[in-house]
Amino acid sequence: MGIETLVTTVISFTIPIFIVAFILYLIRILKGPTISDRVLAIDALAFDLVVFLVVLGIYFKSPVLPITGVVLALWAYALDIFVAKYLERREMGE
Amino acid sequence: MYDYALVTIGCVLLVIGAICDMLGALGMNRFPNFFVRLHAATVGVIGGAFYPLIGTALIAFGSEFLGIYRWFMGGCALVSAFLILILAPAGSHALARATHKSKAAIVQPKVVDHLEEDGGVR
Repeated sequence: MGIETLVTTVISFTIPIFIVAFILYLIRILKGPTISDRVLAIDALAFDLVVFLVVLGIYFKSPVLPITGVVLALWAYALDIFVAKYLERREMGE
Repeated sequence: MYDYALVTIGCVLLVIGAICDMLGALGMNRFPNFFVRLHAATVGVIGGAFYPLIGTALIAFGSEFLGIYRWFMGGCALVSAFLILILAPAGSHALARATHKSKAAIVQPKVVDHLEEDGGVR
Protein backbone atom coordinates (compact mmCIF):
# COMPACT_ATOMS: atom_id res chain seq x y z
CA MET A 1 0.00 0.00 0.00
CA GLY A 2 1.37 3.38 -0.95
CA ILE A 3 1.72 6.26 1.45
CA GLU A 4 -0.93 8.36 -0.29
CA THR A 5 -3.67 5.71 -0.07
CA LEU A 6 -2.80 5.01 3.60
CA VAL A 7 -3.01 8.68 4.55
CA THR A 8 -6.20 9.25 2.55
CA THR A 9 -7.91 6.19 4.08
CA VAL A 10 -7.05 7.11 7.68
CA ILE A 11 -8.09 10.74 7.21
CA SER A 12 -11.41 9.79 5.59
CA PHE A 13 -12.12 7.56 8.64
CA THR A 14 -11.34 10.33 11.15
CA ILE A 15 -13.23 13.21 9.50
CA PRO A 16 -16.76 11.89 10.44
CA ILE A 17 -15.66 11.42 14.09
CA PHE A 18 -14.52 15.04 14.20
CA ILE A 19 -17.80 16.25 12.66
CA VAL A 20 -19.89 14.33 15.23
CA ALA A 21 -17.77 15.85 18.02
CA PHE A 22 -18.35 19.34 16.56
CA ILE A 23 -22.12 18.77 16.61
CA LEU A 24 -21.98 17.64 20.27
CA TYR A 25 -19.96 20.73 21.26
CA LEU A 26 -22.47 22.89 19.33
CA ILE A 27 -25.36 21.42 21.35
CA ARG A 28 -23.59 22.44 24.58
CA ILE A 29 -22.91 25.93 23.19
CA LEU A 30 -26.58 26.44 22.30
CA LYS A 31 -28.13 25.15 25.54
CA GLY A 32 -25.42 25.87 28.12
CA PRO A 33 -27.06 27.20 31.30
CA THR A 34 -24.39 29.75 32.23
CA ILE A 35 -22.02 31.93 30.22
CA SER A 36 -19.00 29.95 31.48
CA ASP A 37 -20.28 26.70 29.96
CA ARG A 38 -20.70 28.34 26.57
CA VAL A 39 -17.23 29.90 26.66
CA LEU A 40 -15.67 26.57 27.67
CA ALA A 41 -17.42 24.75 24.82
CA ILE A 42 -16.46 27.49 22.32
CA ASP A 43 -12.86 27.11 23.54
CA ALA A 44 -12.81 23.35 22.93
CA LEU A 45 -14.57 23.76 19.57
CA ALA A 46 -12.03 26.33 18.37
CA PHE A 47 -9.06 24.16 19.37
CA ASP A 48 -10.61 21.22 17.53
CA LEU A 49 -11.23 23.35 14.43
CA VAL A 50 -7.46 23.97 14.32
CA VAL A 51 -6.89 20.21 14.01
CA PHE A 52 -9.66 19.92 11.44
CA LEU A 53 -8.10 22.67 9.29
CA VAL A 54 -4.71 20.92 9.26
CA VAL A 55 -6.35 17.57 8.42
CA LEU A 56 -8.31 19.17 5.57
CA GLY A 57 -5.13 20.82 4.34
CA ILE A 58 -3.46 17.40 4.05
CA TYR A 59 -6.56 15.83 2.47
CA PHE A 60 -6.98 18.52 -0.21
CA LYS A 61 -3.19 19.04 -0.67
CA SER A 62 -3.58 22.76 0.05
CA PRO A 63 -0.81 24.47 2.06
CA VAL A 64 -2.86 27.62 2.79
CA LEU A 65 -5.38 26.06 5.20
CA PRO A 66 -3.09 25.34 8.24
CA ILE A 67 -2.05 29.01 8.58
CA THR A 68 -5.52 30.06 9.74
CA GLY A 69 -5.33 27.63 12.65
CA VAL A 70 -2.65 29.63 14.46
CA VAL A 71 -4.85 32.75 14.49
CA LEU A 72 -7.84 30.67 15.65
CA ALA A 73 -5.90 29.28 18.65
CA LEU A 74 -4.83 32.78 19.72
CA TRP A 75 -8.40 34.06 19.32
CA ALA A 76 -9.82 31.36 21.61
CA TYR A 77 -7.29 32.27 24.33
CA ALA A 78 -8.20 35.97 24.01
CA LEU A 79 -11.91 35.12 24.41
CA ASP A 80 -11.13 33.16 27.60
CA ILE A 81 -9.14 35.98 29.14
CA PHE A 82 -11.72 38.66 28.24
CA VAL A 83 -14.63 36.71 29.72
CA ALA A 84 -12.66 35.87 32.87
CA LYS A 85 -11.71 39.52 33.32
CA TYR A 86 -15.33 40.60 32.91
CA LEU A 87 -16.64 38.01 35.38
CA GLU A 88 -14.10 39.00 38.03
CA ARG A 89 -14.16 42.78 37.87
CA ARG A 90 -17.39 43.56 35.93
CA GLU A 91 -15.50 45.82 33.55
CA MET A 92 -13.79 45.58 30.19
CA GLY A 93 -10.44 46.88 29.08
CA GLU A 94 -7.36 48.18 30.85
CA MET B 1 11.65 3.69 4.84
CA TYR B 2 11.64 6.63 7.25
CA ASP B 3 8.54 7.90 5.46
CA TYR B 4 6.56 4.78 6.37
CA ALA B 5 7.62 5.05 10.04
CA LEU B 6 6.67 8.74 10.26
CA VAL B 7 3.32 8.24 8.53
CA THR B 8 2.42 5.18 10.65
CA ILE B 9 3.18 6.95 13.96
CA GLY B 10 1.26 10.00 12.74
CA CYS B 11 -1.80 7.94 11.75
CA VAL B 12 -1.87 6.21 15.17
CA LEU B 13 -1.68 9.59 16.95
CA LEU B 14 -4.43 10.99 14.70
CA VAL B 15 -6.81 8.09 15.44
CA ILE B 16 -6.11 8.34 19.21
CA GLY B 17 -6.81 12.06 19.02
CA ALA B 18 -10.12 11.56 17.21
CA ILE B 19 -11.27 9.05 19.85
CA CYS B 20 -10.24 11.41 22.69
CA ASP B 21 -12.10 14.24 20.96
CA MET B 22 -15.27 12.14 20.76
CA LEU B 23 -14.99 11.20 24.47
CA GLY B 24 -14.48 14.85 25.44
CA ALA B 25 -17.55 15.94 23.47
CA LEU B 26 -19.65 13.20 25.07
CA GLY B 27 -18.48 14.24 28.54
CA MET B 28 -19.23 17.88 27.79
CA ASN B 29 -22.86 16.86 27.21
CA ARG B 30 -23.25 14.32 30.02
CA PHE B 31 -21.55 15.92 33.02
CA PRO B 32 -23.75 17.77 35.54
CA ASN B 33 -22.17 21.19 36.18
CA PHE B 34 -19.46 23.57 35.06
CA PHE B 35 -16.64 22.48 37.35
CA VAL B 36 -17.05 18.85 36.31
CA ARG B 37 -17.18 19.82 32.64
CA LEU B 38 -13.66 21.28 33.01
CA HIS B 39 -12.33 17.69 33.08
CA ALA B 40 -14.09 16.87 29.82
CA ALA B 41 -12.68 20.06 28.31
CA THR B 42 -9.16 18.95 29.29
CA VAL B 43 -9.65 15.57 27.58
CA GLY B 44 -11.12 17.28 24.52
CA VAL B 45 -8.36 19.88 24.21
CA ILE B 46 -5.11 18.17 25.21
CA GLY B 47 -6.07 14.68 24.01
CA GLY B 48 -8.22 15.83 21.11
CA ALA B 49 -6.20 18.74 19.75
CA PHE B 50 -2.57 18.40 20.87
CA TYR B 51 -1.99 14.73 19.95
CA PRO B 52 -3.56 14.90 16.46
CA LEU B 53 -1.62 18.08 15.68
CA ILE B 54 1.66 16.28 16.43
CA GLY B 55 0.35 13.36 14.36
CA THR B 56 -0.58 15.52 11.38
CA ALA B 57 2.83 17.20 11.55
CA LEU B 58 4.50 13.76 11.31
CA ILE B 59 2.15 12.77 8.45
CA ALA B 60 2.96 15.98 6.58
CA PHE B 61 6.72 15.46 7.07
CA GLY B 62 6.52 11.91 5.77
CA SER B 63 4.25 12.22 2.72
CA GLU B 64 6.07 12.94 -0.52
CA PHE B 65 2.90 13.55 -2.54
CA LEU B 66 2.26 16.94 -0.91
CA GLY B 67 5.18 18.56 -2.72
CA ILE B 68 7.76 20.91 -1.26
CA TYR B 69 5.16 22.73 0.84
CA ARG B 70 4.83 19.78 3.23
CA TRP B 71 7.55 21.25 5.47
CA PHE B 72 5.46 24.43 5.67
CA MET B 73 2.30 22.53 6.67
CA GLY B 74 4.14 20.45 9.27
CA GLY B 75 5.73 23.56 10.75
CA CYS B 76 2.34 25.26 11.01
CA ALA B 77 0.96 22.19 12.79
CA LEU B 78 3.88 22.16 15.26
CA VAL B 79 3.47 25.87 16.05
CA SER B 80 -0.27 25.39 16.60
CA ALA B 81 0.42 22.41 18.89
CA PHE B 82 2.88 24.44 20.99
CA LEU B 83 0.43 27.34 21.29
CA ILE B 84 -2.41 25.02 22.33
CA LEU B 85 -0.23 23.23 24.90
CA ILE B 86 0.63 26.56 26.54
CA LEU B 87 -2.58 28.59 26.12
CA ALA B 88 -5.40 26.11 26.76
CA PRO B 89 -4.60 25.29 30.45
CA ALA B 90 -3.97 28.98 31.22
CA GLY B 91 -7.29 30.02 29.67
CA SER B 92 -9.42 27.38 31.36
CA HIS B 93 -7.71 28.04 34.71
CA ALA B 94 -8.51 31.76 34.49
CA LEU B 95 -12.10 30.99 33.50
CA ALA B 96 -12.58 28.57 36.41
CA ARG B 97 -11.11 31.03 38.90
CA ALA B 98 -13.34 33.87 37.69
CA THR B 99 -16.42 31.65 37.70
CA HIS B 100 -15.78 30.49 41.27
CA LYS B 101 -15.13 34.03 42.48
CA SER B 102 -18.19 35.62 40.87
CA LYS B 103 -20.48 32.64 41.66
CA ALA B 104 -21.71 32.57 38.05
CA ALA B 105 -22.21 28.79 37.96
CA ILE B 106 -24.35 26.97 40.51
CA VAL B 107 -22.69 23.82 41.88
CA GLN B 108 -25.77 21.62 42.11
CA PRO B 109 -24.63 18.06 43.04
CA LYS B 110 -22.01 19.32 45.50
CA VAL B 111 -20.02 16.85 47.61
CA VAL B 112 -17.39 19.15 49.12
CA ASP B 113 -15.97 22.59 48.29
CA HIS B 114 -12.85 23.34 50.30
CA LEU B 115 -12.17 26.62 48.51
CA GLU B 116 -15.54 28.03 49.58
CA GLU B 117 -14.99 26.93 53.20
CA ASP B 118 -11.66 28.75 53.26
CA GLY B 119 -13.26 32.02 52.21
CA GLY B 120 -13.14 31.82 48.43
CA VAL B 121 -10.64 33.18 45.93
CA ARG B 122 -8.90 36.32 47.09
